[in-house]
Amino acid sequence: MYTTTSNDKKIKDYQKYERMIKTIHKRFKTYGYERVKTSTFEQYDLYTEVKSAINRKEMVKTIDENGEVLVLRPDVTIPITKQLSELYAELPHELRYYYVQDVFRQSDEKDEEVESTQAGVEYYCESSPEKDAEVIALACHTLKDLGFQNIKIEMGHAGFFQALIEQINLSDRDLIKLKKYIQSKNIVELEPFLRTLEIDESLVAALTKIPMLYGNPIQVSEKARQITQLQKTDEILAYLLEVYDILKLYGLEQNIVMDLGLINHMGYYSDTIFQGFVEQYGRPVLMGGRYNHLGDEFGAKLPAIGFACTVESLLKATKKNCTAPRVPLDVHLQYDTECLRDAILFANELRERNYTVVTSQQNQRLNDTQPSIYQIQLTNQERNFFYKEKSYNFDSMKELLKLMREIKGGM
Amino acid sequence: MSLLTIALPTGRTAKQAASVLEKAGIRFPDYHSKTRKLVMLDETKTIQLILVKTADLPTYVEKGAADIGMIGKDVILENQPDVYELADLHIGKCKVAVAGFPNQSLKVDGPLTIATKYPVITESYFEEKGISIETIKLNGSIELAPLIGLSDVIVDIVETGTTLKENGLIVLAEMMDVSTRLIVNKARFSTKTEQIESMIEKRKKALE
Repeated sequence: MYTTTSNDKKIKDYQKYERMIKTIHKRFKTYGYERVKTSTFEQYDLYTEVKSAINRKEMVKTIDENGEVLVLRPDVTIPITKQLSELYAELPHELRYYYVQDVFRQSDEKDEEVESTQAGVEYYCESSPEKDAEVIALACHTLKDLGFQNIKIEMGHAGFFQALIEQINLSDRDLIKLKKYIQSKNIVELEPFLRTLEIDESLVAALTKIPMLYGNPIQVSEKARQITQLQKTDEILAYLLEVYDILKLYGLEQNIVMDLGLINHMGYYSDTIFQGFVEQYGRPVLMGGRYNHLGDEFGAKLPAIGFACTVESLLKATKKNCTAPRVPLDVHLQYDTECLRDAILFANELRERNYTVVTSQQNQRLNDTQPSIYQIQLTNQERNFFYKEKSYNFDSMKELLKLMREIKGGM
Repeated sequence: MSLLTIALPTGRTAKQAASVLEKAGIRFPDYHSKTRKLVMLDETKTIQLILVKTADLPTYVEKGAADIGMIGKDVILENQPDVYELADLHIGKCKVAVAGFPNQSLKVDGPLTIATKYPVITESYFEEKGISIETIKLNGSIELAPLIGLSDVIVDIVETGTTLKENGLIVLAEMMDVSTRLIVNKARFSTKTEQIESMIEKRKKALE
């Protein structure tokens, strides 16, 4: 009776998706986060006013009955912050929120779905290395729970690059180009480009080195101190090293890399930024950072740090290295036509006790093929209970439950 | 230690790229210019070489099917992959240029029609010049287009100019110099930092 026939692949994928979300929920909760939900529809204007990396073209738009343009939630951080700003002009105390919900973006890339599930946390609190480290540790912890190995978190700071370019006047066009060269670590073209800008020689040297400020945090910050002596950058490096020291206490020394070439990719990040990578997957699986001034856009002081990951990406990343076995049913109950009444009674009693039960009529044409741990057969003559190819006779519900308990004890 | 995968484009740069690797002491016994094999291992069995279609190479690296790729700047500019572009290999040098008939003007009534393998590069170049254009995307034998009246001019890579000459075309404007670059997947740079850095280091040393 125990079959291993594989069910529809989609259902299997969905079960994997559910298990993944369950794991994420659990981990976020253990760090004291509470789940929140935001509306599926958001004002289009909300996303045109706020500086963010969400491309307007990518948003799915719709129009309400008054002709107002709405978008299907393209992100979660901005709406949560806006909601909070309506309640508080200033952070009254720390707040820890998490969410698992769908976001909608239509990307140019054909292999990407419009709808994807984002899981993330937002920790509203003032800047401190302890808190930043805790959030990064949570990110790492979550990836570990999901069975990933060789997790790398790249950590940088939005203020580092900012402090350097604040010294010069750059046109928007040149700034975009400069960012692009740094983000792609394109030193070959970065230096000649900087030479066309007529900026100070020491600054050219500093900016050219940014892309390679990558690796062990202690060595990287030493190298960084050699190229810039600004007070601001000094403070940033000291801050990041403090975060790193605390992450070491979390046992994450091997997982942390400093990358000062990591620059503000979300538009609203203001301080610490980070992204997570796992083996077997070519893109970041997780992105986060501190956004102390996003609340300012809505007239509230709401410093915060958070991160988000896309569940579909995580699923793709796990595809290669682990296929968790599917969870079998507890009981498969088969009955003779005359025993329908008993079958329903037994099944309901068991379900009340939180067993998963599927019933089927004997000899019915299409059977449910999900594997089950226990099997029960009800006929007019006898009632049998099967476990691991052994059969046991029983009379009443009481006897059945006793049998199941004994077997559990004996396992 | 896991395998490091390097992607090389099939076609004109493959041979030069393979010799760059060989100079760096990374040898693939199965590799020769006429090989039909698409996947092979180096002598130490720690590096895997894959041969992919030129235009697809950035996708392989961006998605992490390969850790490292060697590919022309023209293809990078056309595909705009989200990868690290770590070094100029100084091979496969050529130019991207506008070509057409001698004495032809780029100023025409209405949009200038351009046949090319590189619509993205072409559009951004002419937009900067303020010339309105219409591109026709072709995959090969671009020189044919103006000869049979499909387009006014073409945008293509020019190495020696022989093909142009044989078809009665000349370079009207040089757009940019290109050469082969070393690109790296961003995630792999973080998970395989040492392997990747040591490979780049070896190549650098070989050049000195």
